[in-house]
Amino acid sequence: MKVIPFWGCMMPLKYPQIELAIRNTLPRLGIELVEVDGFTCCPDPIYFKARDKMKWLTIAARNLAVAEEAGHDVITMCSGCISTLKEAQYLLAENKGLMEDINKRLKKVNREYHGTVNIEHAMVMIRDKIGLDVVKKSVKKSLEKVRVGIHYGCHILKPSQIMHVDDADYPNLLEDFIRAAGATPVAQKEELLCCGKGCMDDEMPLDMTEAIFTAIEASGADCMGLICPTCFSSFDLGQLIIARKRGKNFNIPVIYLFQLLGLAQGLSVEEVGLHKHRIKADKVLEKIV
Amino acid sequence: MAKDKVVVDFRFRDKLNKVSGGEHHNYCYQCSACVAVCPAARFAENFNPRTILLKALLGMEEALIGKDSPIWLCTNCYSCYERCPQDVRPIEVIISLKNMAVEKGTAPPNVTKLSENIGKTGVSVMVTPAVNRMRQELGLPELKSMPLDELKKILEEDSTAEQE
Repeated sequence: MKVIPFWGCMMPLKYPQIELAIRNTLPRLGIELVEVDGFTCCPDPIYFKARDKMKWLTIAARNLAVAEEAGHDVITMCSGCISTLKEAQYLLAENKGLMEDINKRLKKVNREYHGTVNIEHAMVMIRDKIGLDVVKKSVKKSLEKVRVGIHYGCHILKPSQIMHVDDADYPNLLEDFIRAAGATPVAQKEELLCCGKGCMDDEMPLDMTEAIFTAIEASGADCMGLICPTCFSSFDLGQLIIARKRGKNFNIPVIYLFQLLGLAQGLSVEEVGLHKHRIKADKVLEKIV
Repeated sequence: MAKDKVVVDFRFRDKLNKVSGGEHHNYCYQCSACVAVCPAARFAENFNPRTILLKALLGMEEALIGKDSPIWLCTNCYSCYERCPQDVRPIEVIISLKNMAVEKGTAPPNVTKLSENIGKTGVSVMVTPAVNRMRQELGLPELKSMPLDELKKILEEDSTAEQE
């Protein structure tokens, strides 16, 4: 299956090691990435949208128009990108006048958005169009002993009337993927709590991160598994900040779930980019047979 | 208090109605479903989405988009949007208020600073020599150039495209 990757900003510019894991794991599921020129930042659903919603929508619609012209389904690897792009699609479908206004702006650069492109987070696209049985078949090593603490992140699920991904209160998306990769998902009582990154305050995001890792520690998980690079930055670097500022050392590795899949597919630590994380994943690696 | 009149500033509410998504504030019937699921309300004493909506219904401009507004504590998690039985989309009302604060010049400086990058460079994160080196080391393709001319054109304000 051919899909267009919408890489966004966080992954290629802050965490390219995660991009590497995506590039190395998806071909093993029969997915061919078709690169397209002309994308910009989605744009980000927190700061840029807070500044000017209409400009946010205009840039998002331009990205959608670029994707539409390219003619394949589009995947994002970032929950922020999928939030912006799907909400833009929703708003433009909901309000015809808005669609006309936006298309007037796009006409200045000879583009038009028609509302036909299909766009999903990579994990959702795999669940719905490739199938988790294909994920299971790609596995070569057993991660059964690896206990993965779940962290959903907000934007992949909510609002469900836009995202249409899963039940926002009782989701299964990540658990099912982790099981398909052969690892063991572990529930923790803060698994639906926001990482706090979108909050413009210094202490509150740390309070939230601390609450989440306190719960993961109590759950006995070996690592945290997630699918959003913004959450990743809150937690990988965030644990170091908490250790420095508050003297609490969780030292729980944070793993983007396609890195976990890569390990299950037999890829090395370097091939899935885990060597670039601040919190090293040694205790996870020991359990892989 | 009982003798005081409640004065509603409808001019402020009209302005809010004109920012995309702001018009949904009218649907709020103050049920507090949003508060129960709000992580910012759980972790910050001075953040309460129901109160923000009440202030919107009363048109309390200074409290909402003045310098010390609590709206910036919102975590943007969309839980309120998910839960609201009235389709108020409280987070969207809050973002509309943020747009008004930016226009008024009362937004925190990092909001404008971080978002300026996108217009100038096409991305929200600074491209550094370090990241280019890391991409090279990992064997990743070079970063694509950004269509900055297109971006500039669609963001230009002009009378034919601007409806607000």
